[in-house]
Amino acid sequence: MPYKIFVVEDDPVIQAQLLTLLTGSGYQAAAVTDFSAVVPQIEAFAPHLLLLDIGLPGASGFELCAQIRSFSQIPIVFVTSSNTDLDELNSILLGGDAFLTKPYNPAILMAKIAALLRRAYPAAGEDILCWKGAVLHPESGKLEYQGRAVELTKNEQKILCYLFRHPGSICPRADLIDALWDDQLYIDDNALSVHMSRIREKLSSIGLEGFIQTKHRQGYRI
Amino acid sequence: MKYWKDRLPAVAANLLGLVALTLFLLASGSGLGVVLWIAVVWLMVLAAWLTVRCCLEKRRLEGLLKQAQQLEERYLLPEILPPPVTAEEEVYRRLMQLAEKSMLEKIAAAERERKEYREYIERWVHEIKTPITAGKLLCENHRSELTRELLAQLERITRYTEQTLYYARSEHTEKDYLIREIPLADLVHGAIAENKYLLRQNQVAVTVEEMPGLVSTDDKWVRFILDQLIGNAVKYRRENPSLRFSCVSGPGEISLLVEDNGVGIPAADLPRVFEKGFTGANGRAVQSSTGLGLYLCKRLCDKLGIGLALDSREGEGTTARLVFTVNDYITGVQG
Repeated sequence: MPYKIFVVEDDPVIQAQLLTLLTGSGYQAAAVTDFSAVVPQIEAFAPHLLLLDIGLPGASGFELCAQIRSFSQIPIVFVTSSNTDLDELNSILLGGDAFLTKPYNPAILMAKIAALLRRAYPAAGEDILCWKGAVLHPESGKLEYQGRAVELTKNEQKILCYLFRHPGSICPRADLIDALWDDQLYIDDNALSVHMSRIREKLSSIGLEGFIQTKHRQGYRI
Repeated sequence: MKYWKDRLPAVAANLLGLVALTLFLLASGSGLGVVLWIAVVWLMVLAAWLTVRCCLEKRRLEGLLKQAQQLEERYLLPEILPPPVTAEEEVYRRLMQLAEKSMLEKIAAAERERKEYREYIERWVHEIKTPITAGKLLCENHRSELTRELLAQLERITRYTEQTLYYARSEHTEKDYLIREIPLADLVHGAIAENKYLLRQNQVAVTVEEMPGLVSTDDKWVRFILDQLIGNAVKYRRENPSLRFSCVSGPGEISLLVEDNGVGIPAADLPRVFEKGFTGANGRAVQSSTGLGLYLCKRLCDKLGIGLALDSREGEGTTARLVFTVNDYITGVQG
């Protein structure tokens, strides 16, 4: 079941784009429609996480946060354009879990959301990724195939992780590099090619030949 | 000397009186000896009176001057002067008070205007952030070559906007601190993420060395400083630009090094780079230099207690060094 995220944001463009971004990342997202009754809408949607702006028509984000905390302990991310320390302090005191200032980097927002969800709803067992019989263990950096395993470096594991999360679809090189930068791996096109050939060598050493296909001028696909 | 000159009319009047009296006395038949006697006494009394007054006045006025010089806010002088002695002084004091009042009103008006202007700038910066965020999200959801270029430009806009905000705020920054213990690596990776598309579009090779340290500081300010440094590295780049972040731990301090291989700063300009509005030879070549980025960085660093130094060789690159003091006191209190 996908996590549900509720967006309280008054700018229509940001609201719509946040919903697109969240839905595209596999979350179930909804946004506030009536600012005179935000809390009932949150209760009705019962989200796992809340994105909350501070400057809102009607009750401010701080007031809403205080009201929500009276019945729920869900993670609340404050997303605001006023980056004074007073606001940040307030958000912490009122029980906010994270404070991001606009203009935030969408990747950072998504990483924060994922981290908060992981912390609030710890999944049982290790997070593993499977595709076509190959099993990737992101925590330990190991790849298994038919009983044979190979150790991956941190960078190789980051690259494979991205491919495993988009199985069957073509991943453009530029998107892949963008995502790797978000993952604190700052590589360029050439370095990616070098990493790729090393990964392919490792894959073939455990009998995975042709697991990663190169689509000319488009990208990679597993 | 001026004092004696000012007294000339009084002396002249006395002499005139003396001459008139002498003539009158001679005419009324007094002896020459008596007349001379009177004249000498008169002149002696006059001279003594003038000399004593001269000394007393001099001492009083010099005291006033000294008092005025010691005063920090000299425009408040009329308020602290001792009560006037003569009618003339009373008038001058009233004149001074009038001047003071009108000036205080002017200052108050100017201060109010400046405050309103600053508040307007701050509000504007907050407003502009909403469309920038919307633009970033739109680009992120429609990824293509075009939106990557746009994102790089949006990052530049963000940096300039932040610069405006910090410039407007830099006077009363002491109210705007939130010191926390943060991993140095988080600060660096955060700053890189803020400039991701700018760095990518300009093909900057970014390396981040291992950074184990924790620093106690305000993250958004340090992020701002790193933002400006990254912006400079991109602006003054050469072929195959590179940017390297590393850290050196010393006793009681951690230094963060930001190294680029850009055009570098001429040795003659180096001592002046932190001056407000200084653009130097590089600034003139690039055009879009404001001479504010490094000035603001230095100011913020001074307030945050971070050491900031630039080291550069023309044609080879620039290294910025941020020195954080590792404060045992804070960890001691928290522990």
